[in-house]
Amino acid sequence: MTETLHPQVAALLARYRRELKDTKPSDSLDARIARLVAAGNEVFPPRHSAVRRVSFWAAAAGIATVAIVTGILIGMRLERGAPARVSQQEAALPADFSLWPTDSVALQIPAEYSAQGTLVAVDPNARSTGKRYWIDVVVSNDGTVRIDRIVPAETNHKKGAPDGITLQTP
Amino acid sequence: MKKDSDDSERMARLAAGDTGALRELYEKHGRALLRFSSAMCRSRQAAEDLVHDTFVALLRGPHLFDPEQGTAFNYLCGVLRHRVSRHFRQQKRWVALVDDDSGVAAHEPGPADEIARSEVSAVFRQAMLELPLQHREIIALCDLEELPYHAVAAILDCPIGTVRSRLHRARALLTLRLASLEIVDLDNEPPLVQLS
Repeated sequence: MTETLHPQVAALLARYRRELKDTKPSDSLDARIARLVAAGNEVFPPRHSAVRRVSFWAAAAGIATVAIVTGILIGMRLERGAPARVSQQEAALPADFSLWPTDSVALQIPAEYSAQGTLVAVDPNARSTGKRYWIDVVVSNDGTVRIDRIVPAETNHKKGAPDGITLQTP
Repeated sequence: MKKDSDDSERMARLAAGDTGALRELYEKHGRALLRFSSAMCRSRQAAEDLVHDTFVALLRGPHLFDPEQGTAFNYLCGVLRHRVSRHFRQQKRWVALVDDDSGVAAHEPGPADEIARSEVSAVFRQAMLELPLQHREIIALCDLEELPYHAVAAILDCPIGTVRSRLHRARALLTLRLASLEIVDLDNEPPLVQLS
């Protein structure tokens, strides 16, 4: 392909090209290159591309391993830290804390062992035929009922109501 | 072809640690690289520094040269081109406290310098230096170094069509600039010269 150019510009280009062709590297540049050649191997030891590639991938694998191990360690610490925080919360609770609601009533029910060996509620005014017990039953306002304790009647000095049931508030 | 294989062999020797090959490459291509660098840069010192940097880069990474991709000269020219481009990017970050001769010469035809010995050539050089970098480099490679289009395309890493279109624009810009400096008379335009 040919390109067109203004003849005066072409002449100027040719003249500049001729002058540029006379350009020679200065002694200073020659000396710098000579120093580079002399000190080249010491300053920049030759490295093969394969070696460079292997070292690059080795470094990348090392960094990836460190990142994974760090992630695992952080995960383990978080895993351990979560129950520890719960126990700290529990430790911060007051000593009289109870899982049971405080709004509840306690009933004392007299009971005796039946012939079948089961503890059954009895009439407190009836004559005792065997060993009598007090069953402390707690009824909470959330609807839960629990037997708090069963104690022999001799050790409990509380006298029940005529119906044999004593109400207590905790 | 023989020359290219010689250069490839020198590159291989350099990669193996024989720095004597660097000296041979410099002796063979140093002048051409300096011409290209001088055509691109205002200062002779900067042009030499960039050529030096090119050979430092070559010494640091001779294995980066792939003979399948092109000749050693094309590779060196490509490295130098990147250095020139970086040099001008870095220069933009600085502001001269004192106007140097380049600042004056940007607007007035200056006296002949080391590279353009005659005053006319100095003005022409000044007009060239005012072109954008990519237009300047295409004129330096195609018109001053007279490299074939395919070699220029390999150096610039672009298609041959891009080289042609860029060269056309660069020449047009240069002609206009020279006309504005009254070096070229566009009014009495003679027949255009055909360059192969």
